[in-house]
Amino acid sequence: MRHHHLLLRCRAMPLLPLPPRTLRVSGGLVHHRLIRCHGMPIPRRTPGVSGGRLFASLPLPPPLQSPREVHVWYLCPDELNNQSQLNMYEELLSPSEREYADSMKATMLRKDVVLSRALLRTTLSRYTGCKIDPRSFEFKKNKFGKPEVLWPLDDSTAEQPLHFNISHTTSLIACGIAINAHIGIDVEEKKRNTTKNILSLARRYFTPSEVDSLAEISDSDAQRKEFLKLWTLKEAYVKALGMGFSGAPFSTFSIMLETSKGIRISKTSNASRPGYDHLSENWLFTLAELNSSHYMSVCIEDSSRSQGPEDSPAPVGLKVWKTVPFVEDTLVSGTEAVKLIA
Amino acid sequence: MPAFVLQLYIAMCLQSDPECPALLDSRIHLEVANVISSRSSVSFRSQKMSFVSIRSRPSSLRFKICCSATGEAQAKKETVDKVCMIVKKQLAVPDGTPVTAESKFSELGADSLDTVEIVMGLEEEFNITVDETSAQDIATVQDAADLIEKLVTEKTA
Repeated sequence: MRHHHLLLRCRAMPLLPLPPRTLRVSGGLVHHRLIRCHGMPIPRRTPGVSGGRLFASLPLPPPLQSPREVHVWYLCPDELNNQSQLNMYEELLSPSEREYADSMKATMLRKDVVLSRALLRTTLSRYTGCKIDPRSFEFKKNKFGKPEVLWPLDDSTAEQPLHFNISHTTSLIACGIAINAHIGIDVEEKKRNTTKNILSLARRYFTPSEVDSLAEISDSDAQRKEFLKLWTLKEAYVKALGMGFSGAPFSTFSIMLETSKGIRISKTSNASRPGYDHLSENWLFTLAELNSSHYMSVCIEDSSRSQGPEDSPAPVGLKVWKTVPFVEDTLVSGTEAVKLIA
Repeated sequence: MPAFVLQLYIAMCLQSDPECPALLDSRIHLEVANVISSRSSVSFRSQKMSFVSIRSRPSSLRFKICCSATGEAQAKKETVDKVCMIVKKQLAVPDGTPVTAESKFSELGADSLDTVEIVMGLEEEFNITVDETSAQDIATVQDAADLIEKLVTEKTA
């Protein structure tokens, strides 16, 4: 995806539909109507959409209170089949994002790209006081290809930079947000099967201690699930670090799930060769089960000064919402839908 | 000169030319599609080399083959086909969707776990080891095939 060198030009716009959509005011209530490209207004009562108010403003989320707090917003592509809703999400995309969506061979993949970008843009809009139009965000890539927001130079939100990361499976797309801390997120379907044998994969890509801990599990299904948990944690770390798969090969660090201090990471001996100095261990992890169907790992930078081998890191404050942008948000953390594993 | 006779000669010469081991692919004689012949030289485009010309000496029936390749040789079709097969299997690509050398893994829906499984499958099939830096640069089937050939060549060198 090309990245834009242009500075953000439209900012602090109220989230209202732009022309050619009409805006009618009657008796103090503002009705927004979505006009399709061929000029036919959609019926006000759209099935599946509460009140038909497709352009309701995004509600303000609770603020991120510390760099240890992570907010995750996710959606389920299979449940979003309303074409006018999907068209609306597509309108939020930049031309290059639309081009990328169009390059997808399968319709499902195209839909995933649209939803993924719409989720990111609407989430960023929420966390900038709902004052920035989702359409106006611009992105750049760091030198390793990790996407970041290209903040306008004079915007106050750049002082407390928002960090984001996205992960998708066919059935769930998640966007993690943190403030002042680099973040990585990875989701995986619990029932996912690998084509290769689990221990072969682990021997090829994981560390010896991780292989040993997997080999101890005799039940093949339990072993597969443990592999997936480790996989998502390692992916989340690599994504948080932002240096790509080769910047932190999986064989250079071990993740330990069952320590008394929660999930810990440690570099392996082959990470002491030159080129891997950037592999740091001051990262916080959290692993959860979503809807009993997915594993989700989140990794954020730990900038606290009290980091020492004896101190247990404070747990990551995790809040999770299931969202249908512009329609409905449901806080699911603290319910059965989000079960913390570690 | 009739095309089939030309093919036969080329095949014979290819067999005996020690300077171009890459020409020992017996399929090349089928690729003499566009033959432009003049009095003393015949040229054709082939899939493997960018340009091959055959010069005939007036007094001899045998041809001397000179080949000049411009740029890097692309991976053999065989390699590309094997990569396509491994990719199709890993990503469970439906029969209607074509997978070709230009296919991008991301466009076929490969995520990171799929990618490492594909790489592992390629390592097993071709008996090579792909390091993370090289793996990261693979975006298409062609990239994978080119890398495989490079690694196989390095291995046998």
